[in-house]
Amino acid sequence: MRVGVFICHCGSNIAGTIDVAKVAAEMRKVPGVAFATNYMYTCSEPGQDEIKEAIKREKLNRIVVAACSPRMHELTFRRTIEKAGLNRYFLEMANIREHISWIGLDKEANTNKAIESVKMAVAKAMNNKPLYSQSFKVNKRVLVIGGGVAGMQAALDCADGGLEVILVEKSPSVGGMMARLDKTFPTIDCSICILGPKMVDVAQHDKIKLYAYSEVDDIKGYVGNYQIKIKKKATYVDWVKCTGCGACMEKCPAKNSYDHFNFGVAPTRAINIPFPQAIPKKAKIDPNYCRQFVKGKCGVCAKICPTGAINYEMQDEIITEDVGAIIVASGYGLVDMDKFPEYGAGRYPDVITGIQYERLLNASGPTEGHILRPSDKTEPKTVVFVSCAGSRDKSCGIPYCSNFCCMYIAKQAILTKDHIPDSQSYVFYMDIRSPGKGYDEFTRRAQEDYGAKYVRGRVSRIYPKGKKMVVVGADTLLGTQVEVEADLVVLATAVTAAPGAPQLAEKLHISYDTFGFYVEGHPKLRPVETNTAGVYLAGCAQGPKDIPASVGQGSAAASKVQALFSKDMLESDPAVAKVNENTCVGCLKCIMTCPFGAVKEKELRGGRIVANVIETVCAGCGVCTATCPCGAIQLSHFTDNQLLAEVNTICQK
Amino acid sequence: MGPEKMKEIITDVLKDVDVVIGYKQGFDKLHATPCFINKAEQIEEIIWSPVCVQNLASFLPSLKAKKVGVVVKGCDSRTIVQYMQEGLIDRSKVVVVGIPCTGVVSVKKVLDKVNHQPIEDVVFEADGAILVKTPAGETKLSLADVSPDKCSTCLYPTPVVYDHLAAEPIKSVKAPEDVYKDVEEFEGKSLEERKVYWEKEFDRCIRCYACRNACPMCVCQDSCIAESRDPHWISQKSNLSEKFMFHMIHSIHLAGRCVECGECERVCPMGIPVNALKKKLNHDMKALYNYEPGVNPEDKPPMYTFSVEEKKIEEHKL
Repeated sequence: MRVGVFICHCGSNIAGTIDVAKVAAEMRKVPGVAFATNYMYTCSEPGQDEIKEAIKREKLNRIVVAACSPRMHELTFRRTIEKAGLNRYFLEMANIREHISWIGLDKEANTNKAIESVKMAVAKAMNNKPLYSQSFKVNKRVLVIGGGVAGMQAALDCADGGLEVILVEKSPSVGGMMARLDKTFPTIDCSICILGPKMVDVAQHDKIKLYAYSEVDDIKGYVGNYQIKIKKKATYVDWVKCTGCGACMEKCPAKNSYDHFNFGVAPTRAINIPFPQAIPKKAKIDPNYCRQFVKGKCGVCAKICPTGAINYEMQDEIITEDVGAIIVASGYGLVDMDKFPEYGAGRYPDVITGIQYERLLNASGPTEGHILRPSDKTEPKTVVFVSCAGSRDKSCGIPYCSNFCCMYIAKQAILTKDHIPDSQSYVFYMDIRSPGKGYDEFTRRAQEDYGAKYVRGRVSRIYPKGKKMVVVGADTLLGTQVEVEADLVVLATAVTAAPGAPQLAEKLHISYDTFGFYVEGHPKLRPVETNTAGVYLAGCAQGPKDIPASVGQGSAAASKVQALFSKDMLESDPAVAKVNENTCVGCLKCIMTCPFGAVKEKELRGGRIVANVIETVCAGCGVCTATCPCGAIQLSHFTDNQLLAEVNTICQK
Repeated sequence: MGPEKMKEIITDVLKDVDVVIGYKQGFDKLHATPCFINKAEQIEEIIWSPVCVQNLASFLPSLKAKKVGVVVKGCDSRTIVQYMQEGLIDRSKVVVVGIPCTGVVSVKKVLDKVNHQPIEDVVFEADGAILVKTPAGETKLSLADVSPDKCSTCLYPTPVVYDHLAAEPIKSVKAPEDVYKDVEEFEGKSLEERKVYWEKEFDRCIRCYACRNACPMCVCQDSCIAESRDPHWISQKSNLSEKFMFHMIHSIHLAGRCVECGECERVCPMGIPVNALKKKLNHDMKALYNYEPGVNPEDKPPMYTFSVEEKKIEEHKL
């Protein structure tokens, strides 16, 4: 065995707090190490060339690179050693940057830790076996989860590129949050006017199969070959027959149903079409309010429906689709008003959220675009906007900025003046964040041309006084307390992960942060990829962002899928579980624990039963290897003996 | 409770099974030995008394291809339930002859009481007393004094699963909270004290693997990781750390599977209290998963399931 060790300085990233020359010198003393050196940037072209040359010159057959996280450059160096004629799995990386140099300042301690870490990698490398990929066919269909603007853009770009697209939307219509907005900043153009045509394109594109009011129930498989179970939720209306005439909605006697589309700003009917431009424009019954379901009798809609589309017996339906890649554009949620007892915790009807105000402004909203107070349906003359309701507030568990509230508050202040010329808007803000093209000019216009009064400070309390709401806050620029008697208060409630986002992430095997937002492959260089091959991100599922950014990500994710599908065959990862049939005792406990259903029973000649791993289904998670009592099932590239070699190294005195 | 009814049942059972596993007398009156009956004339050899200590259910997985009748005590019956949970036996091919049991003897404890004299005769009297005759004379012992520890907290004197019962069922009078009292007491000791205790115990281990071989749940047997080089978890060195490691592996492989039949401890030639480790893990499994091995055939051993969210283990919050 001739191991070559390459210690990277990473500029001063590693060399600043680790004595790299000493680490290399120590490695030369390790039995089996034939060559060890340190280099400024091992990942650079000359750095890689040095590895290739050393392999030839020193006849190296195992390579250890001590540098950054393998997530960053493992593939780079695997390719390097492959070019020099070694099996790519003869490479081992020691992460001495993220795990050591970046997290400690004590150079001596770091150096000692680096020495141990690299020794472990050497021990592992000496136990590495050559592994070979298999190639398999790619299913060139793509699943897009979420029919908001990001998801629709991704679906359209994929479909225009000739790919078949399965678009799953959990609400009854595509459009997402953007469909609810009145106007968009900074151009004040009508939201639905620019979104509507896209929605129609989605519905009419012959490459896009739309499942509205459906959810992804189960995901099996791997990049190139996923099996998706989609749950079509019962609408109690046969959408093949429904023409979207709306007669049922007019006659429905259950008039106090919660309106999910309008965020409850006004009630709707138990059978409803969410909004006039809905795609698909089909009715759906809410069984929580429908009298037929609640009281067991009514049937008005069934009588009135001219096409006989109503079916109270409808059940959820499971549909299976096979795809090769997945774009997740599942959007965002909003923090509950219950989080703010000081703002009335949702008790005062005239304290509403930004999205509810959006619906009041919107011509297709419950007030037909007239701003009316929810309490008494009068026109408010003084409107107070409270920004950062939850955002940038550690006590709410939301330390991050919600990205677009500053901008939409400015827009809403402008629109308020447009709708009610004798009104006065006040905006309580912490900072005005408007770093987009034309954004800062926009917020200035709200103040300078539309007279919105911006007060820098937070609101401590909101309480009712007669018909007014008193907003008590601080003006930190004047250093005083201020009180505004408002007719209407609008809270810019914080953006949160979409409800159920972590559960979906678990199904997709992608990572999510503590807030439930999905984690991209690299914050700068892989913004729409995930660390799971074949799964891409777009829109607010990854973090709060405005419409242009969401659309950009939708297109970016689509281009990633196009690139993936440009090949007909993909290479499988050979780091999967393998059964040693000689030692397998056939207890088959691995079958019970495998989360992917990749282990099956196999009968050998002579009738002995053993476990058998289906290589292409195995995701290499290692649960089976932890279950197997006799160690007969081993994860290639992470075998017990490979890991034990590392453990034994670190435990040696 | 004589063996007469049991013999009647076995005569019947033998008609439609390949073999019945019961007890017969061993080399002296204090020792019973398993016997495999496939002819009617062998039935007379069968005995039943508190010296019938072995867990006969242990033979079932290796006889999976045959139809087998088996005699089990309450404690042994949990083995069958656990086998069913783990799919190691086909219940339709097993006929269980259950014996409600009032306690067995610990051969070691009896021998200690009679100073390891040769046993000439053992008589069980109706009041629960035991008369042991040796060349040195006769010793009268009470069963409670010479039972293994497991009998003193036995919750299942009547088998939890059976097809025939050889006597009237007996209800347990023991308190369930006493089962793990010894574990809790031991946990009260300091880490250092516990370490010293186990080091002393495991130092005696001769790695004969009797505990593993007698264990009904040790399914690997000849493929045991303790004797394998690939993977090479432990070496054959006879030092304390390797002995420790072996017992840790044995215990962890039994987490939430050990039916507490006590065979490991009974067969240990060095008298190491190995069952305590398994009890400790069972105690933890009960706390984490509210799971007790070998009680309900419908249960799933928690270590043989996979779920992303474990109710009582907070890895990350969803």
